[in-house]
Amino acid sequence: MNDFLKKAFQSYYLKPEISFPERFSRREYAFIFWGGRQMVRHVSFKRREELLTVLRRRVPMHTYYSSAYYEKPDAPTMNEKHWMGADLIFDLDADHLPGAEKMGYEEMLFAVKKELQKLLSFLLDDFGFGEKNVEIYFSGGRGYHCHVKHPEVFQLGSQERREIVDYITGRGLDAKDIFREKVVETKRYGEKVVPIKRLEMPKPDEPGWRGRISRAIIETIKEIREGDKGIEKLMDYGINKSRAEKIMESLSDERIKRIEEGLLDQSPEIRRFFLKSAIDEVAVSLSTGKPDEPVTADIKRLIRLPGSLHGKTGLRVQAVEINSIEEFNPLDDAVVFGDEKVKVKVTKPFKIKMKGESFNLTPGEAEVPEYLAVFLAGRKIAKI
Amino acid sequence: MNIYIAAKYPFLKDAKEFVRKEGVSTEEILHDPLYQRARDMGMQRVNEAIERGMVGNYITADETDALITIFSYPIARMIVAGIGSDFLRRRYALAEAKRAYHNLIEEDNDFVSSMAKEFGINVTDELKIYFTDYLKNAPTWSEKWKLVNMPLKNGWVGLKKVELARLMQENLRNKLYNELLELRPPPSIKKVFAEDVTRIKNMMQRKEMERKVEIGKASISKFPPCMRQLLAAAQSGVNIPHVGRFALVTFLHSIGMDIDEILRLFSKSPDYNEERSRYQIEHITGKISGTEYNTPGCSSIKTWGLCPVEKMDDTCRRVSHPLAYYRYKWRSKK
Repeated sequence: MNDFLKKAFQSYYLKPEISFPERFSRREYAFIFWGGRQMVRHVSFKRREELLTVLRRRVPMHTYYSSAYYEKPDAPTMNEKHWMGADLIFDLDADHLPGAEKMGYEEMLFAVKKELQKLLSFLLDDFGFGEKNVEIYFSGGRGYHCHVKHPEVFQLGSQERREIVDYITGRGLDAKDIFREKVVETKRYGEKVVPIKRLEMPKPDEPGWRGRISRAIIETIKEIREGDKGIEKLMDYGINKSRAEKIMESLSDERIKRIEEGLLDQSPEIRRFFLKSAIDEVAVSLSTGKPDEPVTADIKRLIRLPGSLHGKTGLRVQAVEINSIEEFNPLDDAVVFGDEKVKVKVTKPFKIKMKGESFNLTPGEAEVPEYLAVFLAGRKIAKI
Repeated sequence: MNIYIAAKYPFLKDAKEFVRKEGVSTEEILHDPLYQRARDMGMQRVNEAIERGMVGNYITADETDALITIFSYPIARMIVAGIGSDFLRRRYALAEAKRAYHNLIEEDNDFVSSMAKEFGINVTDELKIYFTDYLKNAPTWSEKWKLVNMPLKNGWVGLKKVELARLMQENLRNKLYNELLELRPPPSIKKVFAEDVTRIKNMMQRKEMERKVEIGKASISKFPPCMRQLLAAAQSGVNIPHVGRFALVTFLHSIGMDIDEILRLFSKSPDYNEERSRYQIEHITGKISGTEYNTPGCSSIKTWGLCPVEKMDDTCRRVSHPLAYYRYKWRSKK
């Protein structure tokens, strides 16, 4: 089966469309070859043609390059390489989304795209990066990579990158400080003057997380109020039925108006609900946790080479324009193989829409286009 | 710049200019009776750093006073560099930085922002600073200072004056410390301040001795590389990020150290504050909060950037928890 995939990959690598990273010769390159268990690392190239030759002659299953650039990218240890700087990389992968196990491939890709939009909003609006500093790539697998190439970020250390990740994922957010007490009036009881305090919500135009939470709360309220499906919508947020009914009951028109004016002096339960759903809505699910997994804070990680093929799908690591994310469909736009028919033996039922065509496969022999055959073989859903 | 401002902030470029304009040699500053007061005040700066953790505000009644104060600063630096104790270098850098902070918060916005610019911090007239400068200078290990809790828009973080001053304190501390590492004072400094240098050196040595706290039954040779590294940092007085302290405290507590023993380890940190540290340790070990926190596993340690990957050994690869490493080492010994 590897032979089939390798042959297919070889046909692509005869005329690949690689986007070479800046500072090409300062990067480390790494490969996993068919049948090889170990990653081949610490490779560097002086000229682009040398890399193209490796792709063409050795046809790697996976191809990576380092987000960092070094004085000696081919030195065997990190210390000897002499780190000079690194791009800022974000990984968005379906694996990190809640409930991803139950999703199909297309559904997963769609869900990750939503996270990608949230990430971009943070990078462009809060961090103020220009669109020309931000590159988006479909990973070839189940997610997207976002590369930030801005002169101010190259030198950031691990600790500082972690702070950026925490910002985007909402980790360490001081939720107690979101609603602040404000004196709205004073009352006189004889001699005594008593301030009347209300909890105030942040204003939608405030910078940073406070404004984002405010906008998300207003959005949630609109969503709940639209139509008469409030209770179901609350239940979508994971609230059980009796609690949802109680909340709906307390959300009188007058109360909602007060919330929109910024006064959230409702029951603590309602406050908690709005805050929690707003934080969930705003935060991006990034890969930050599992051991041995490359993360954004890592200043010497490897990332897939744009234009190379993903060994487990045959899809291309494909650049996506920021303003065409909405329309981007990896199962069309990242497909490189043709549609000559290939005989395969499907091992489990599988449904997918690729290149605009819907396939509904059942176990047994079938004839499918080459692009699907590669995809099925890579994902071990079919044998060739 | 007016000479009184230069006396208040003797580390500024313009203050250095006053010294240069006087056209005196280092030897003259160290020996000429004319500079006796400046030398005394230089020694006073160092003593105050050691004793109170912050240098004082010196009265500058006239221009001569101001000039003497300005001169006392390079003298103090020569003394610190001459003694050559890393603990003292950190302590002194922090003491000068704290003084600057307390003066800065009394200044107006324009003054603070112009000084920030001299520090290389990118700041606007409304006291917004570029986020990379924020990240490089803010003590983000504390929740209050995490970027996520700051007003960030278009790359700029809006700050209050006191907040900017606090960042400048951090910036100055690092800068001074690095300068002290580079500084090569003339050998005669030890002769001029002979008694004081000996006194301070002895004092520092005592501190060094105290630093080698017995760790009871615990055996450092059985610590995993991450904990060894954190412990070394704590013992040499390097500031450890909050999560690092947390990981180390929970680990030491789990292997049987009591609060006082742990506290003694942390007392070497240059900004050590017994009350605060005791509170933190008692909180983490469950004495105050009632929740006894567990030592984080390898995956968290890695996420927090505390795992010295280069130093990982075979035992590391077998286990997924620092305590498992420690127990494994004990077992394999027997």
